[in-house]
Amino acid sequence: MDWISRQFPTRVVALLPVAIAINIVLGATVQQALKLPIYLDSIGTILVGVLAGPLAGLVTGVLSNLIWGYLLPAPIGSTTIGPFAIVAGVIGLLAGLWGRMGLFRDRSGETSGSSIGGAVVALGLVAVLAFYTYTRAYADPETYASTTFFDPATFDQSRILFLVVMAAFVGLIAWSLFLRRDLGAVYAVASGLVTGIAAAIVSAPISAIVFGGVTGGGTDLLVAAFRAGGASLLEATLQQGLLADPLDKMVTSFVVFFVLANLSRRVVARFPNGERLLGRGASTE
Amino acid sequence: MTAAAGPATRDRLPDFVRRPPSGRYRSLSPATKLVAGLAQAVVAFTLGSWSGPLLVLGLVLATAAAAGVLRPLARVAAVTLPILASMVVINGLLFPGATDVVARIGPLAPSPSGVLFGAQAATRLLAMSLALALVYLTTEVDDLLADLERRGLGRRAAFVVGAALDTVPRMVERAGEIVDAQRSRGLDTQGRFWRRARGVVPLAAPLIFGALNEVEERTLALEARAFSAPVRRTALRTLVELPAERWARWLLAAAALGATALRLAGPAAMLP
Repeated sequence: MDWISRQFPTRVVALLPVAIAINIVLGATVQQALKLPIYLDSIGTILVGVLAGPLAGLVTGVLSNLIWGYLLPAPIGSTTIGPFAIVAGVIGLLAGLWGRMGLFRDRSGETSGSSIGGAVVALGLVAVLAFYTYTRAYADPETYASTTFFDPATFDQSRILFLVVMAAFVGLIAWSLFLRRDLGAVYAVASGLVTGIAAAIVSAPISAIVFGGVTGGGTDLLVAAFRAGGASLLEATLQQGLLADPLDKMVTSFVVFFVLANLSRRVVARFPNGERLLGRGASTE
Repeated sequence: MTAAAGPATRDRLPDFVRRPPSGRYRSLSPATKLVAGLAQAVVAFTLGSWSGPLLVLGLVLATAAAAGVLRPLARVAAVTLPILASMVVINGLLFPGATDVVARIGPLAPSPSGVLFGAQAATRLLAMSLALALVYLTTEVDDLLADLERRGLGRRAAFVVGAALDTVPRMVERAGEIVDAQRSRGLDTQGRFWRRARGVVPLAAPLIFGALNEVEERTLALEARAFSAPVRRTALRTLVELPAERWARWLLAAAALGATALRLAGPAAMLP
């Protein structure tokens, strides 16, 4: 009980409605108005998870989708969002864990050996995993079919989407390292990649079973493309998810990282997880 | 929470939110209507491929007609329509593993079994969506939250849901103001895709930071009103409910559980 109540002081209770509204307003704009192939509906969820803890993140995600789906009137409210509440909860839960591990800590101005070493290790891990996955799963259509259980006909598409996700990862990291000169974003973007893969795996069966693979957002085109390439329904939604979710969560984690870095230290420090998010105090207000 | 919202927010709320409960279905206790909506959503998903969804659609339409909310319900259905249509079209044209393909036009392979699959998934989704939409069309959110709080939902949870519902329209309003402000400084919001995409940051950043700065004030306001005081609060609204409603809720819950059990055991999947 103590573990639970420590994640919900009055400050966090006041933050939750704001975070939920950010999720809904930005998500509705991006998905329903702009029809972009990403979602941007979990900035509030990841923010709360990182600031307050895993349980608070989970609650934010689940409530966002339920309110968006079933309590808001029609122009914004959309009943198709509701079933994805489980996915949003998982995203918030993971964000809480990353926050606890200090992956969203402000590292601007940090040039110590251990910090650079950590970033190198994080990058190396992603690189090794990516290389391992690529050589194991994408060597040739037969091994692809036997390791992923996907239809060999989807080999080329799947390989392209894997490369797109990795290129976006490298691009975001390069941008943050060379233009912002900030090591912390490396950790945040890497955590977004992991969150995105988890979200894709959780959401694929939901969009396949509940919606027949069609959810009305910009990503429907991707599902249609994968199915035209011969994938089954679950395969197509999983492949769509594995393309859209990691991209979306990397961008979202990146945004959250910069929001936290630009909030005043006083505000961040008062949240339950605040101490794990602040740098060494080198930066001045 | 709605009472605290400004006049601009109140006028924007659709009229069904403010109408006092009248009529037999509307005056049922909010918890009963919530349980009914959830039970129907479960049944639509578990019972057969056509029988469950059609049964639930029939029930929902009958209830809506009795409660006089057919028109707003039709509006909800209209919002879902594009998704339902694309479910039928995409499945009809690209159904994996279809054996009865009519013609092949490039990657498209229209098949009757695909159309049937799409139509069935669309009906199920429509039944589920309308069953849950009926809950908020016939219940004031404040009443629902008050009722759930009385039944043991924490005060914090009730506050979060109520405040979030209030914050969304205000934030939409604020987003409009920010767009106008940035446009007056020369931001292009109408142009081509990349132009619009570059406009996202100057729109989202003030929205997010403005909202987060508000949290501090809200915290102080809540604490000044003894939000975290460890005492039991008294209710401003009291809700009456018929003794039979208690039984109705248990029956509905049992029906939903029964349908799920039948599905898992097998017989419900065999229904048409």
